[in-house]
Amino acid sequence: MSYKDFLNPWIILPTFLFALFVVPVIWIIFSLFGNYSDNWVHIYNYTLSGYIYNTVLIIIGTSIGTLIIGVGSAWLVTTYNFTGKKFLEWALLLPFAVPPYILAYTFTGLFDSYGTANNLVRDLFSLPNEFIFFPKLRNVYGASIVFSFTLYPYVYLVSRMAFINQSRSMLEVGRTLGYNKFQIFYKLSIPAIRPAIIAGLMLVLMEAISDFGAVEHFAVNTFTTGIFSAWFGLYDFHTAKQLAALLLIVVISFLILEKYSRRKSRYSSGSNVFSPIAAEKLNGFQNIFASLFCFIPVFVGFVLPNIQLGYWALNYKLDFFNEKFISTAWNTFYLAITAALICAMLAVIINFSIRYKKNKVLNVMSSFLTVGYAVPGLILALGVSQLLVFMDNLIFRDYLNFILTGSIYGLILAFIIKSFALANSTIESGFLRINHKIDDVARSLNTPGWKLLFRIHLPLLTTSFLTSMILVVSEVIKELPASLILRPFNFDTLAVSTYIYAAEERMFDAAAPSIAIVAVGLLPIFVLSRLIVKSRPGYRNNDNHYQSY
Amino acid sequence: MQDNILEIKNLKHSYDASKEVLKGINLDVARGEVISILGPSGCGKTTLLRLIAGLEKQTFGSININNNVVSDNKNFISTEKRDIGLVVQERALFPHLSIIKNVEFGLKGSKNDKYKTAIDLLKLFKVDKYAENYPHEISSGEQQRVAMARAMAPNPKILLMDEPFGALDHALKSELRDEAKKIFKDNGTTAIIVSHDFEDAIAMSDHVLIIDEGSVTQKGPAKDIAVIPRKNSFKIA
Repeated sequence: MSYKDFLNPWIILPTFLFALFVVPVIWIIFSLFGNYSDNWVHIYNYTLSGYIYNTVLIIIGTSIGTLIIGVGSAWLVTTYNFTGKKFLEWALLLPFAVPPYILAYTFTGLFDSYGTANNLVRDLFSLPNEFIFFPKLRNVYGASIVFSFTLYPYVYLVSRMAFINQSRSMLEVGRTLGYNKFQIFYKLSIPAIRPAIIAGLMLVLMEAISDFGAVEHFAVNTFTTGIFSAWFGLYDFHTAKQLAALLLIVVISFLILEKYSRRKSRYSSGSNVFSPIAAEKLNGFQNIFASLFCFIPVFVGFVLPNIQLGYWALNYKLDFFNEKFISTAWNTFYLAITAALICAMLAVIINFSIRYKKNKVLNVMSSFLTVGYAVPGLILALGVSQLLVFMDNLIFRDYLNFILTGSIYGLILAFIIKSFALANSTIESGFLRINHKIDDVARSLNTPGWKLLFRIHLPLLTTSFLTSMILVVSEVIKELPASLILRPFNFDTLAVSTYIYAAEERMFDAAAPSIAIVAVGLLPIFVLSRLIVKSRPGYRNNDNHYQSY
Repeated sequence: MQDNILEIKNLKHSYDASKEVLKGINLDVARGEVISILGPSGCGKTTLLRLIAGLEKQTFGSININNNVVSDNKNFISTEKRDIGLVVQERALFPHLSIIKNVEFGLKGSKNDKYKTAIDLLKLFKVDKYAENYPHEISSGEQQRVAMARAMAPNPKILLMDEPFGALDHALKSELRDEAKKIFKDNGTTAIIVSHDFEDAIAMSDHVLIIDEGSVTQKGPAKDIAVIPRKNSFKIA
C-alpha cells in the first residue's frame, strides 16, 4: 500500500476509528507496567484472593447452570415435539430482555426473608413469621443462579443453531452402530457441537465476570466491585486500572477461546446432501418433563421478574410516569438512538471501505474494532475517562478545562465501542447479500465511491441498517457500569436510575425504569427469532432477491 | 431350505392415512447375498430400508432378521439392537472425529482391538493413510469408503446402503462399486442397496427388486433383469 492510499478517505476514517477504539483498552493494559501504590499492596494482600475466589465460583456455577438449561432446552426443542414447543422455542430467548441486575433486584424482592415468595409460603401454610422457606440468595450462589437464568440464551441460541444443522443421517448411523437415543445425545450430538457450545459459554462467562449491578446488589466482591471501590472509595484511579487490566486479561482469554471455538465449529461433513432432524413426538411423562424443562427457565428468567416488577409498579407507585421517569427515559432513548445511528453509519462506512478498496489491512482493523463488545463496561469507562482527560489537556488546556470529560460525548464513545460489533455483524451480512457484480456494473458506469454507497448500497441495506440500530439501542439501554461512571452530572439513564433506586432499597421506584428496559430488550428477540428461522437448512430467503440480479 | 438372513412379509407403511407408501412388500434375502432395491424417486425404497433398520415402524406386516422377529404388530426391536450397518448417500461421517475414530465408534472391546479392527478395514478400503485426518480433509469418494468401513466394522448381520454412490462422479462410482462388491463377496457380507441407478444395481448385486409406487413390479437375478427388464416396470435413469 502506497502513502497515497493512506490519504484516501475510505482508509483514513477506519484507521482513525481503530485508534479511537483501541487506545482506551491499551491504556488499561499498560497500567500493569506502572507503579503499584499502597492501595494496590493492600488489595493484593487482603482482598484480591476473595475477588478471584468469587469469580471462579461464579464461573463454575454459571457454566453448570447455563449448560444444563441452554443445551438441554435446545436439544429438546430441536429433537422432539411436545406440548407448548412452538411457543417455548422462541420464548426461551425472552430472558435476553432481562439484564442480570434487574433479575437480581426482583429476586431480592421475591426471595428475601420477608420477600413476596416467603410471605406467600407462610400465608399459605399458616407458618410463623420466623419461618423461611427460600434460602438467602444474596451471595455468590444466588449470583450464579441469576447469571444462569439471564445468560443461558447465549448457549441456547448457539446450541439450537448447531443442533438444527446436525444431520439426521449422522444420528441414525450412530444408532445402527449400537447406541440408544440418550447415548447418541451425549456421545455424538453434544461432542459434535462442542465448539459451538464452548463459544456460547465463553460469551456467557464474559458477561458474568464483567457484571457489576447484580454482584454489587448481592454484596459479592468480584473484580468489578473491586475496581469500583478502588476508584470511588479509595479515589485511586491507577489501582482501579490495574485491577481492570487483570480482569481484561481473563476476558481476553475467554474471547480468544470463543473465536477459536467458533472457527472450529464451522467444520462440516463435506457432503452436499443434508437431511434435517425430524422431530419425534413425546407422550405422557416425557411430554410433561420436556414442557416443564423448557418452561422453567422462561418462568424464572422472564415471567417471575416481570410479575414482581408489575406488582411493585401497580401496588406501590401507580404514578410511575412522573416527570423524573419521563426525563430519564428521554435521556436514555436519545443516547441510545444517537449511539445506534453512529454505530450503524460507521459499520456501513467501514464495510463499504473494505469492499470498495479490497484492503487487507482494513479487514484486520475491522476485526479488532469488533472486540469492543467483550470489554466490560466498567473497564471501557476507565479507558474512555483517561482518553477524555488526555484530549481535554491536549486541546482545551488554554481555554477551559474538562470540556469532554464528564460530558455526554464520553458516554456515547463508550457505547459505540461496546456496541459496534452488534451493528457491524448485521451490516456485514447485509453487504454480503449484495452481489459484487452490482459494484462492477456501477464502476463500469464511472460511478464514484460515495455515489455507489449512497445511491445503490444504502437503499439495499435499509433492513440491515434498521436491524443493527435495534440491536444497539437495546444493548445501550441495558448498559449500567459505563453509564453510571461516564454520565454527566445530574444526568440519569433508565439503567442508572434503576441502580440508584435498588441501591437505596426503593424497589418499587425501580420498577418503572426496569419495565421500560425489559420492554425495549424484547425488540432484538424478535430479530433473533427471525434469524433462527432463517438459519434452518433449506430456508428460502426472500430478502435475498437482489442476489439473483 | 435356503438360509435367509432377512424375511419381510406383507409389509405395508403409510405416513398419513391418505397415502400408502408401501403396499405389501415380500422379500427374502439369503445370507451373504447382495440385493439391490431399484426404483424411481418417491417409490418407497428408502422407506423400506428405514423399516428394516428400525428407524420407522411399519403400519402392517413383519420383519425377521436372523430368524428373530424384529418388528411386527406386537414386537419392535430398536435400531441399535438389530445388528445392522447403515451407509447413506451423504456419508454422515461424524465431523468432530478423526477417520480412525469414526470407524472405531461402533466397536466394543479394548483400545488395541478396536484400533486393529478399524485400521484393517481402512486398509481394505484403501483409506488407511487418512486414519488421523478429519472427514472434511478427504475427498467425497474417500469419505464414502470410510462410511462403508465404519458400517462394516461391528460385523453387522446386514449392511444397508441408501444410494451409496449417488453423489459420486461416474469414474469414481464405477471404481468404488467394483471394489465394494469384491469386499462384500470376500467377507460374505449380506448387503441391501437402495438405488435409483439401474447400472449400480446390476453391477453390484446378485438379485434385484424393482419397486414402483409402493409395490414390487419385478424381482429376480441381476443378470436376468439386466437382459429382460419388464416393460414399464422402471424407466432407466
